[in-house]
Amino acid sequence: MELTIGHLYPDLLNLYGDRGNIRCMQKRLEWRGISAHIKEFQLHDNIDFNELDIVLLGGGSDREQKLVCQELQSIKSDFKQYVEEYGVVIAICGGYQLLGSHYQIGAETISGLELVDLYTRQEEGRLIGNITISSDLFDMPVTGFENHGGRTYIGENVSPLGKVITGYGNTDERDYEGVHYKNVIGTYLHGPLLPKNPELCDYILTKALERKYKESISLSPLDDTAEIRANKYAQGRK
Amino acid sequence: MKLRKYLAIALSKLANHICIKMGRQGVTWAGKIAITIYPDILKELAGEIRNKIYVTCGTNGKTTTNNMLCAFLESEGQSVVCNSTGSNMLNGVISAFVLAADKSGHIDADYACIEVDEASTLRVFPHFTPDYIILTNLFRDQLDRYGEIDITMDLLKQAIDEAPDCTLIVNADDVLSASLANQTGHRIITYGIAEPCDENPASASEIREGRFCQICGAKLQYDFYHFSQLGSYHCPSCGFMRPAIDFNAEDISLGQGLHFTIRDTTDSYFPIVSNYRGFYNIYNILAAYAGVKSEDFTCEKIEPILANFKPENGRMEQFSVNSTNILLNLAKNPAGFNQNISAVMEDAKPKNLIVVINDNAQDGHDISWLWDVDFERFSKANINRIIVSGLRAYDMELRFKYSDIPCEAILSVEEAINEMLKDNINNMYILVNYTALYGTRKLLKAMEEGNI
Repeated sequence: MELTIGHLYPDLLNLYGDRGNIRCMQKRLEWRGISAHIKEFQLHDNIDFNELDIVLLGGGSDREQKLVCQELQSIKSDFKQYVEEYGVVIAICGGYQLLGSHYQIGAETISGLELVDLYTRQEEGRLIGNITISSDLFDMPVTGFENHGGRTYIGENVSPLGKVITGYGNTDERDYEGVHYKNVIGTYLHGPLLPKNPELCDYILTKALERKYKESISLSPLDDTAEIRANKYAQGRK
Repeated sequence: MKLRKYLAIALSKLANHICIKMGRQGVTWAGKIAITIYPDILKELAGEIRNKIYVTCGTNGKTTTNNMLCAFLESEGQSVVCNSTGSNMLNGVISAFVLAADKSGHIDADYACIEVDEASTLRVFPHFTPDYIILTNLFRDQLDRYGEIDITMDLLKQAIDEAPDCTLIVNADDVLSASLANQTGHRIITYGIAEPCDENPASASEIREGRFCQICGAKLQYDFYHFSQLGSYHCPSCGFMRPAIDFNAEDISLGQGLHFTIRDTTDSYFPIVSNYRGFYNIYNILAAYAGVKSEDFTCEKIEPILANFKPENGRMEQFSVNSTNILLNLAKNPAGFNQNISAVMEDAKPKNLIVVINDNAQDGHDISWLWDVDFERFSKANINRIIVSGLRAYDMELRFKYSDIPCEAILSVEEAINEMLKDNINNMYILVNYTALYGTRKLLKAMEEGNI
């Protein structure tokens, strides 16, 4: 078996160790004897979503995110089709914000990809710190670091990724974090996200394999002692 | 009268003295006391500098560059005020001047060499206007503290605008520093390394900042990289390019100490024979040299300073414990860490390695930057054994695990060192981030003196 992972615009969206997420998916496939192909796309590259099994959209600075936004409008309809057909997407920080209809920064509105029913508005102060959430999708809490000025409001027909245990999450309310729609996961958690949250990584890999091979997949277990230790330790950080 | 001023200086000095007696760093406290008692203290003392004030800014290399500049000026017979301990926020700057003041409350100095944290420039510059600003480089650094690099650049630009008559001494190889300097319209003096250096092969997978033109947004093209985003660049769209280099390093040899030649705009050559290690120190030497040359000094007496340089403060500092050579080196961000990895790899001998990572406030609570460092290169560094330590040892363990590099996690640094000493490898490297430095260094000193 094999999977192809598309990394969108790593030159621009690479702020918080997103390479670690790619590496984590790649290694956890390879350790199970599954090939992983990584395709990096630069601005203006043609993206054929039919070739991709997982899409990673990372975070960038506001300036760089704006550069990306203009480009995104040209891939919007293909990307939408991919998502509706249960294509797997993992979107982090800025990438999470781009999933929505728009990002409001003061008087300026940046158009998003309109893939998921959500929007983001920049509000006073940044939400920064360690964060831990509980998600119905996983047994272990999901832990990471958040640093965002935007507050993300998700629609009634999409689910959050999880409930906030410590930290902020989508807004100042400290209630819910991230979004889960079909096979799209959007979240503010970086750290990077996947190495310390192996269940989440395996969930993504399983969904992608099932979609590609049209059969039920049960990944062989790995020794996650180090991952679980790091996850538990991070949960306790202030 | 100036009674308050005398009081401010006296109490500040006393506070510093008490702290030293107690074995603590009292520099920032001393500065705070002085400005609380006498708010104009920094303005008045800095105003007494007879000639020029240098300010050094930039992500990496501030302390090294600033202290070298100070030493160069002193070798020319000049008296200099310098915040040599690296306390580079407002209170640290104040205390450098206050502690240099004499009994009558005056400064008797020709120059001041002051390093200033980028985010503090706007708080410092209302008190004095520098004549020179040295901008070493701009890299991503502790994003949860400083925010995105664009924010740092905006702050610096505002600060530089506050000093309209000052000259910028800029690393031409860094596109971010060069574009920033270019946008200010100030007089610019540049330094850099015009040609690729064979002994310093750039890593292909390093994180590079500012790949897109700061002026027009097009993707920049590079002829080559030295490391990170430092190299020779141009914009195919608007024509912005690496500026002409006024002070250029040529004939570089890395070996056991940096050797090279500096060629200036008059085509005169100045040989550098130094005891510094690490490619990045070429830039620090160039910056300090450009600084003194800009004041028309001859630099005739800087040779012994460079040749006899003894690394300290955990910057490539050497220790010897039970016949094991231990090299301690600080790195706070991906660019610094990648350069440290290069320095380890210049040593072909078998070695043990300890990496200590903390996530305290001064380190930045966010440790995701570990994944922007090219730790994969250690797989080809002739390393016998790796131990990860510090508050975020388990994150560092994962970082190595996902690079297919075996390591062990031992949270206590002392236990980690003792464990490594059992190996009889006699060659150990300890890479630490900021708050891990002080404790590790103290420990190594005690071990070296046989007190542990």
